[in-house]
Amino acid sequence: MVTGLMFIGIIILLGFFVLMFVVGGYNALVTLCNRYKNAYSQIDVQLKRRYDLIPNLVETAKGYLQHERGTLEAVITARNAAATANARAAQNPGDAAAMKEISSAESALSGVMSRLFALAEAYPNLKANTTMMSLMEEVTSTENKVSFARQAYNDAVMTYNTRREVFPSNVIASTFNFGPAELFVIEKPEQKEAPKVAF
Amino acid sequence: MDFFNCQDKARRNTKLLVFYFVLAVLSLVLAVNAAVLLILTGFGNYGLMIWNSNPVSSANELSLPWSLAELLFCVTIGTLVVILIGSVFKTLQLAGGGSAVAELLDGRLVNSNTTDADERKLLNVVEEMSIASGVPVPQVYVLDGETGINAFAAGHSASDAAIGVTRGCMKMLSRDELQGVIAHEFSHILNGDMRLNLRLIGLVFGILCLTVIGRILIRARRGKFPLPLIGLALIIIGWAGVFFGRLIQAAVSRQREALADASAVQFTRNPAGLSGALKKILIYGSRIDSPHAEEASHLFFANGLDNSLFATHPLLTERIRALRPSLDGKFPRVIQQPTPAISPASEAPQPPHSPQIPRFPVVQTGRDRFTPPFIAEHAVVANVGQATRQHLRYAVDFHQAIPPVLQVASRDPLGAGALVCAFLLANDPSTRQKQLENLDCATSDAIREEIMRIWHAIQGMPQQARIPLVDLALPALRRLSPQQFEQFRATTEKLVASKAETDLFVYMLRKIVVRHLERNFFPQQRPITQFYALRPLAPDCGALLSAAAYAGQRNITEAYAAFAQGAESLNRAAHCEIPWLPPDQCDLSRVDAALARLSQAVPQIKKNVLSACAQTVADDDVIQEGEAELLRTIADALDCPVPPFVQSQETSAPVAPEA
Repeated sequence: MVTGLMFIGIIILLGFFVLMFVVGGYNALVTLCNRYKNAYSQIDVQLKRRYDLIPNLVETAKGYLQHERGTLEAVITARNAAATANARAAQNPGDAAAMKEISSAESALSGVMSRLFALAEAYPNLKANTTMMSLMEEVTSTENKVSFARQAYNDAVMTYNTRREVFPSNVIASTFNFGPAELFVIEKPEQKEAPKVAF
Repeated sequence: MDFFNCQDKARRNTKLLVFYFVLAVLSLVLAVNAAVLLILTGFGNYGLMIWNSNPVSSANELSLPWSLAELLFCVTIGTLVVILIGSVFKTLQLAGGGSAVAELLDGRLVNSNTTDADERKLLNVVEEMSIASGVPVPQVYVLDGETGINAFAAGHSASDAAIGVTRGCMKMLSRDELQGVIAHEFSHILNGDMRLNLRLIGLVFGILCLTVIGRILIRARRGKFPLPLIGLALIIIGWAGVFFGRLIQAAVSRQREALADASAVQFTRNPAGLSGALKKILIYGSRIDSPHAEEASHLFFANGLDNSLFATHPLLTERIRALRPSLDGKFPRVIQQPTPAISPASEAPQPPHSPQIPRFPVVQTGRDRFTPPFIAEHAVVANVGQATRQHLRYAVDFHQAIPPVLQVASRDPLGAGALVCAFLLANDPSTRQKQLENLDCATSDAIREEIMRIWHAIQGMPQQARIPLVDLALPALRRLSPQQFEQFRATTEKLVASKAETDLFVYMLRKIVVRHLERNFFPQQRPITQFYALRPLAPDCGALLSAAAYAGQRNITEAYAAFAQGAESLNRAAHCEIPWLPPDQCDLSRVDAALARLSQAVPQIKKNVLSACAQTVADDDVIQEGEAELLRTIADALDCPVPPFVQSQETSAPVAPEA
């Protein structure tokens, strides 16, 4: 009888430990998941800022770059594509398809933007325009912020993915359907070794 | 009540809480034992006949003389273990501090560079209040799912505090009303209530655990033992747990809430704002729908649950009446300084979703916007944790006067990091060049560009703007990834190390940033109160006072005189001599160790040390610009938030020199 009671006690205790373990693992995954989603919202803010700046930039440049219509239009198209891709990614950060889309859209956009910046170098009148210069400065600064925020996001995703894959939390992850999250990588065609943005 | 008394009271309340808790646990154990006895002996045979196919043998087994004491012992241990595990589990879950609580309640972190008008307003109000009271800007969360008007503050200390606001609160309150609510929450941060509240969540959860187990057992229908019956008993007993839990919550919470209301009015000097918010709650309600509302009900601004028997808060009408004796808006003199009718909006409830943002009246004093910080030294200690309307007014002015470049920078992680680095740069060009060269290997051009850009922007800022700006930058810095934080920490360390002279203030500034952030990135490092007497801390006091004396005075005899001034009162309190350290022994690492130990002392000791520092720094009866900021950093390192030094009638009264 006493052993029976002890047995119940031990079962309850064990059950409790298992419960604690599961709840703890689950909560850790939720926390990490929230963390990378939060990190994406940081990118989102900067990207939106950049998407707002680009039309102004193009508008200012239009007067000087009469013969470069194609580049300007390419910038606007790439900007619009990136904006829609970002809206989708912001809805569901970490989702593989959405992240791939925003990655390629952003790569394309930074490609045409660097072409535009290179073009601007060739037009002294445009370089003398203060509005243009301050806009370019702002775009560059925003780009720095984006890459910094992107690094934070990628770190958060890495932590989450590692947690998701190692034992024992992978059991919990597969039970409660925690999917893998996708990194946000931008390939820059002209410079393979992108500057490391780090303090 | 002064800050240190409040802190002490919070600590005493913790003891009271533990006492209640032990009482509750004892009664629970007794109740469980009584129930077990009742089931097994009283109507045991009858009960077992129902549940067993073979009642006779069971009854025989039961009536066997196996020791009753043994059984009861097992039951007692089992109950204790369950309560303990429950409490420990919940406490561990909340180890992350305020953000853990906010996420438990489904809060969404508000981005520090948000563009949403309502969120911006909320952040601005919180930032102003932080500047006014001298604590780092807490994380701000919005509970999107909650439409009632409610808010909470949670965390272990000011550095991991979070303020949560329901969607209804953000949307429906005017700026003045929101300010009242936020001021109320800040007084929880300053009074040390939050820590108590977090512990309360953990303990109450342990008590509630029995109900949870009862619910599980009542579904188990097999086995030799009357499990469902035990389950039912556990649920009934568990209700006793709920009863005690509520009782504890109510006992601890009610008076703190009244105190927080009073402090909020003291901060804002605008009872109309807070009472307007309370009136709106009267109309729209303050219900919290989250399933975790019960555990956290004592954290909230107003009752989050419907039941009134164990209300965690005083009645709304009582709270309003305390703020404004007559409910019809005619209130002659609650406070000596009635504000002009700046918010007619608070008289009538507005329809929800009105996006109007009434501006706080900016009082132009005719002086420089950053008021010169002359302050009498006796006022330093009295000011700790006591923001007043003057501070708030200063904060609002300050907030608006920050150049846009810095405002933008302080809200995004890259810019905020660069801002802190820029403060660490030396004024002397060659040293600065050397500092930047030292960074070369680890940092990219983008960062260095950003640092220099911000460095140019801060050149026009007065010195006393440094601490508020750093406080503002903290929420953005919390969003660095752990790897980025490591790099940031290494960078700041390099900058401080390569700065030629040992600048105590710069060192402390860096220390404060890293300390506040460390608690965010590594939640397990939490200071525990270890020192209850001044005597073992005498060498540390000596180091700190000596360093403070050297920081203010160039020649050594003057420094010693300043040191003696401060050490005098401490000598009396410690009943021993505070040692004076020569300059070569009193380097930054020594000060660092001293501060680390001093921060683990009880509030009253901190009060003595802080007032000794004030006396050392204010050797000449008046604290000058740079010295005032040094004092604020020391106070911050000791977890005693000092509001910015604003000249006012009360504080500029002539000081009687110490005998």
